[in-house]
Formats: sequence, structure tokens, C-alpha cells
Amino acid sequence: MSVEEILDIIREKLGGIAEDIRYVESAGIIVRVKPVNLREASHIVHDVLDAYFRTMMAVDERPINNTFAAYYVYGLDDKGINIIIETHADPYTPVLPSIADIVPAADWYELEAWDLLGIRFKDRKLYRFVLPDDWPEGLYPLRKDVDYTARPSPRITYKPPLQGPRLPVGPYHPALHEPEYFELFVEGERVVDVEYNGFHVHRGIEKLAESPRFTYQKVPFLAERICGICGFVHSVAYTLSVENAAKIEVPERAQYIRSIVLEVERLHSHLLWLGVACHLLGYDAGFMHSWRIREKVMVLAELLTGSRKTYGINLVGGVRKDINMDKITAIRNTLAWLRSEFAKLADLVTSVPQIVRRARGTGVLPRDEARKLSVVGPVARASGLDRDVRRDYPYCAYKDVSFRVPVYTEGDNLARLMVRVEEIFESMDIIDQLLDKLPGGSIMAEKIEVPEGLIGIGNVEAPRGEDIHVVITGRGRPYRWRVRAPTYQNIPALKVMLRDTPLADAPLTIASIDPCFSCTDRIVVIDLKTGKKEKLQTVSIPGGCGCEI
Amino acid sequence: MSLKKLLKPFKLISIARRSGVVTVLYPYQKSLITTEFRGKISIDATKCMGCGACVNACPPNALTLSRRDDTIILNYFIGRCIFCGRCAEVCPVGAITVTHEFELASTSTRDLNESLVHRIERCSGCGGGLGATSRMLQYVILHSPASENYVHLCPDCRKKKLIQSLAMKMGARTEDYEG
Ligand code: SF4
Ligand code: SF4
Repeated sequence: MSVEEILDIIREKLGGIAEDIRYVESAGIIVRVKPVNLREASHIVHDVLDAYFRTMMAVDERPINNTFAAYYVYGLDDKGINIIIETHADPYTPVLPSIADIVPAADWYELEAWDLLGIRFKDRKLYRFVLPDDWPEGLYPLRKDVDYTARPSPRITYKPPLQGPRLPVGPYHPALHEPEYFELFVEGERVVDVEYNGFHVHRGIEKLAESPRFTYQKVPFLAERICGICGFVHSVAYTLSVENAAKIEVPERAQYIRSIVLEVERLHSHLLWLGVACHLLGYDAGFMHSWRIREKVMVLAELLTGSRKTYGINLVGGVRKDINMDKITAIRNTLAWLRSEFAKLADLVTSVPQIVRRARGTGVLPRDEARKLSVVGPVARASGLDRDVRRDYPYCAYKDVSFRVPVYTEGDNLARLMVRVEEIFESMDIIDQLLDKLPGGSIMAEKIEVPEGLIGIGNVEAPRGEDIHVVITGRGRPYRWRVRAPTYQNIPALKVMLRDTPLADAPLTIASIDPCFSCTDRIVVIDLKTGKKEKLQTVSIPGGCGCEI
Repeated sequence: MSLKKLLKPFKLISIARRSGVVTVLYPYQKSLITTEFRGKISIDATKCMGCGACVNACPPNALTLSRRDDTIILNYFIGRCIFCGRCAEVCPVGAITVTHEFELASTSTRDLNESLVHRIERCSGCGGGLGATSRMLQYVILHSPASENYVHLCPDCRKKKLIQSLAMKMGARTEDYEG
């Protein structure tokens, strides 16, 4: 279906309420509506056109057009095109209708926009979500009139101390990935409800990138530090969004190198996860061997980029490090070794009873719940949603390779494990194909100019799922840079997976979405039988990286 | 079939035997890095001219330029460095090389700072500060030889010289400008 045909459908369905419908190649079809029509437009796009909710970007556009703007990005996966609902709120008391009941996945985005930009959403509960508890009231850091160096004095908050017998276990380690905090409400051994409390280490990266300290070419290095495991994904998503917005012609060879490195990153990330999953289930031999294999991938990554992690080879316009014949041979050798070693390990891991029995039928995420929350990556594919950004919204060199997207319908922990195991084999095939076709030429665009006021979207299939960045260009640096990491979309699904399951399965289920905050899970268990919320016990949940708390 | 399946987990034994010991006795055994590894940078004091191009490119501000009295100081703070090598890429005279050094832990931040001090040249006309180092001037002359006549002058003296030479062309005598 061509863009024109989709535009016709949108005109037909949304023409009555839209103020303006336009197609922007770098982003998608942008439909501008008045706030009063936002709910209806969201319903039509999400439910009638059946588009996935991808991200929402709230922007302080007061210096440009004296409004607060919100861009809701939906994706028509089967057509590979975005539909963006744009709406503008009053500059003095910004209020928008909440769409969280129509689009459940939008829940967090609204809370975040309220915290960071002070946009109030009607008819829903708003509470402190991203900002720390002691951040002062009424100061919205992403507004343009708040300087990035602002260090407000903390407000005093009172939290009633926890009562009853407690068993504090382990350190709370903010330096390792993102710590998170779940509260599991249990009745005896069954989990009956889950509360999530995250963003303990919100770093204000989006604000920092808008500050005079940064330039377009410095942000890739910042973006790469969003995640310690799949950082390259973020730097590619950022550069793609800027390149799309500014129509920068990136040489083919650079696109291929990016794709190769992205797949190498997926290999290491999935192997890491597999090891951790084994460890969580008490199969430490699987953990050791998974990481033994992964080590070769890490060494390969260093050979290709100069660093085992945070590769630092990406810039707007291309890459900084070329691949020569020696490196191609090294990749081929590593892949050949990896194929045989991993085949053996995969065979073993998927047949060991202590893994299969614990993973089968636990942490189930039914398809319709997955769809409602627009989950991404292996979590979506294990619940029967056939979506993969590499195929649906091709970027870099993925249009030139063929690969299979493994989809399972069970939605349990085993399905998520199987998806990742199969993806490891697919990734190795993709790298092989890319090497076969690797074109010559330069690796950096000749002309890099970024005009102001353009919107661009960059998406990348991270090991954990779709990672999407939206950029509005500014002078010398992004005017607004919105990052949405895959885990952000997947955590709400944990509520469904954990509810009404045995407590013993919780560690594996939480790890099964491959959360990015792995190292430190803190879980509070509240026993509902006693009827008292104060009666707390804290249990230890081994985190993703194998560090126990 | 089912017996085969039952025995599958025991394949671990053969995998483990074949792979043997894979860890190395770091730091006593071989080095852990490849040829491409990016470690700390080293700035060649005999080449650097204090232009600050690296400072502008450095993403985390590990390199900073400051001016004190008659000197320009280029400071490299390893504690902030992310070992990206952007500085080496942009340095116009190739003064920066990326080394393989990575064992940088220290108990004192003093060990993590390296600075390079450049003297600021004086204007050959009025003797005031010029804001540039002598190597910067040499670099400018090398790349545009015509500039040799005025690079050693401060902007004020340059203006004076220009007016003077224009006036001379138009027939004024030098005495008009003296005393
Ligand atoms: S760019 Fe090179 S010459 Fe200029 S200050 Fe840095 S190291 Fe020195
Ligand atoms: S290597 Fe990167 S971070 Fe370190 S000084 Fe150079 S530009 Fe700065």
C-alpha cells in the first residue's frame, strides 16, 4: 500500500476532526488535532486502524509557537509507516485529555510528561513518577526556561517508615544499570498484585543533550551511555533520527558496518541473557558456558570497534571505523566457531529439565494483553505478535538481507527463551549475508548540515525490542530529543505476567523481559493474608547480571 | 529416543571437557586486549599548539583549555575520558595518539591530570598579549604564507598597519603618522 492510499484512508477516517494532515518523509503522516479531539483521534488510530503505540514526545514549544506540543507516534507495522497525532496545549496552564484508558501503553508517557514538562492530563491520577521524591513541586526540568545547570534545593518529603519484621538483603547499587523496585503483594506463596517503582537513576540525558555543552556530533556518545548492554542501539537510533530529519546521505558501507555491529551487539546481549536465565534457575553450568561463548563475541566487538562495549564508532553521517580484510576473516572465523559451540549449548539448555520445566507455562503474557500494551521485541514475539523493526521499518542495511522472525504463541518464559535462542542463529546469518554484500566506498557522508525545526524518527530493533528516538532539530544541537528504550514499553506487561503466579517464578519472569536494569532488583513482598500492608518482608531476587542483592 | 533425551543433559560433560580452562591469569599472563583497543590518549608536547580543536570535540569535557596570565593550559583529566579517540581525529597537527593503556586506577586524582602549558605570544607592534601561541602562528603561516606580514600583530595593530599601508598607497608620508 502506498503512502497516498494510507493518506486517503486517514483523510477519510480523521478528516472530520483533523486541523491538518501532512506527510513528512523523515517521520510519517502527521495529523494535527485540537486537544478536545485527541481522544477520538487516538481511538481511531489505535483501535480502528489497529496501529501500535510506539512513543509519545512532549515538547516545550513556547519559544517557537507559544504552546506545549505532544506528538503521539503510532506505527502501522505491516505498512512500515508511522501515524503521528500532534496536538498543542495552552502555554500557561497546559492541559490535555488523558488517553491512557484507550491506549493503555500511553500511561507512563503521560506521567512522564506531567513530571518533566508540567502538562496536566485530565481525568486520571497523576503522581510523581520519573523525578526523585525530593525534587521541588512546580519545577519542570524539560521546560526551556529551566537551565540545565539548575540544582534546586530538595523538598522535604515524609514517608512513613516500614513497620514489622524486615529482612533487608543486599546493597542497592545504582551504579550498575538501572535499579528498580517492585512490590509484590502476595497471599501465601501466590502473587496477587504488583506495583512498580522505577526511575531511581533518571539522569536527565534528554535535557543534557539540549544544553549548550552538546553538539550533534557529541550526542551519539551520550546516547550510547543510555544502556550498558545495548548502547550502540541508542547511538544508531539517534543518528538515524537526525540523518532522516536532515536528509543526510549516509554511505552504504557505513550502513552495513552499523548493521554488522548491531548484530554483534545482539549476539552478546542474548548470550548474556541466556546465561543469566540459566543462573536464575540454578543451572550455573549453562551460565558459565553461555558466557564463555559470549567472551569471543566481546573480543570480536573490540576488534571491530576499539572497545568491548560502548563502541563509540558512530557519528551523524556515518561511522568512524572501517572494516578491512583481516577483520572480515576474524568475523568469519568467530562466527564459524560460535555456530558450532552455540548449537551444542542451545541443544543442552533447551533440554535440561530444570530449565524447561520451570520456564514452560510460567509468566504467561496473553496475546491480547500484549497487543494492548504494544509490547516490543522478544516479549511481543513470544506472545504471538509478529513484529520486528528490522523487517517492518527497515533501516541501515536490513533491507538487503533476508532473515526469519521467530514468533511463538505460548507467551510464557520458555517462548521468550526460544525466541532469543533462534535470534542468535538468525543474527549470525545476517552478519554473514552483510559481509558477502559489503559495498566499497567511504564511511562518512560528505555533507553534514542539519537545518533547524525538522522532525525525524529513528528506530532500531534492540536485543530487547524496538528502540525509538524522535528528534526535533535545533541550532547546533537537537531542540528536543526523545528517547524511548524497549524496556520502558515492556515493564507494564510484567504486571500481567506476575499476577496470580507462584512467588518462586517471579525472578525468572522479571528477567524474562530482559530488563535493562538487571543488576539490582529490589522486591518487597507484602502479605495480604494478615491484612496489613505494614507487615513487610523483603526477599532477595537475584538480578540480571548475576549479582545477588 | 526417550533414553537419548534423558541422557542429553550429560552432554555438558563433553562440552566442558573439550573447552577446558578458558580464563587467563591476568595480569600475570597475556594481555587481554586486541590491536584495535582504545585506551588513554597521549598528547605530544612537541607538536601540540594549544588550538583547542580537541577540546571542542571531546564529548565529556575531559579536555579543557584555560588561560592564566601569559599562558594557555590544555588539561587532560583521565577521570572523565571515555576513550573515544575523537580528539585524535580532529587534531590538526596529529599531536594526539590513542594508546593501549587502560590500567589507570589511582588513589590520587593528581595522577589523573595531565597538563600542557603554552606561552602566549606578544604582539610585535604594541607588545600586548596576542591570544595565540607561537606554534599556532607558525601553523597559520604554513597554511597561508601571505599571512606572514600580519600574524604577529594584535587586531588593533593590524588595523593600524592596514590603514597605514592604504594611506601610503594614496601618497601620504610616513611622518604624518609619527609623533
Ligand atoms: S587539537 Fe591538537 S594541537 Fe590543538 S590543542 Fe588539541 S592536541 Fe593541541
Ligand atoms: S579520547 Fe574522547 S573523551 Fe578522551 S580526551 Fe579524547 S575526545 Fe575526550
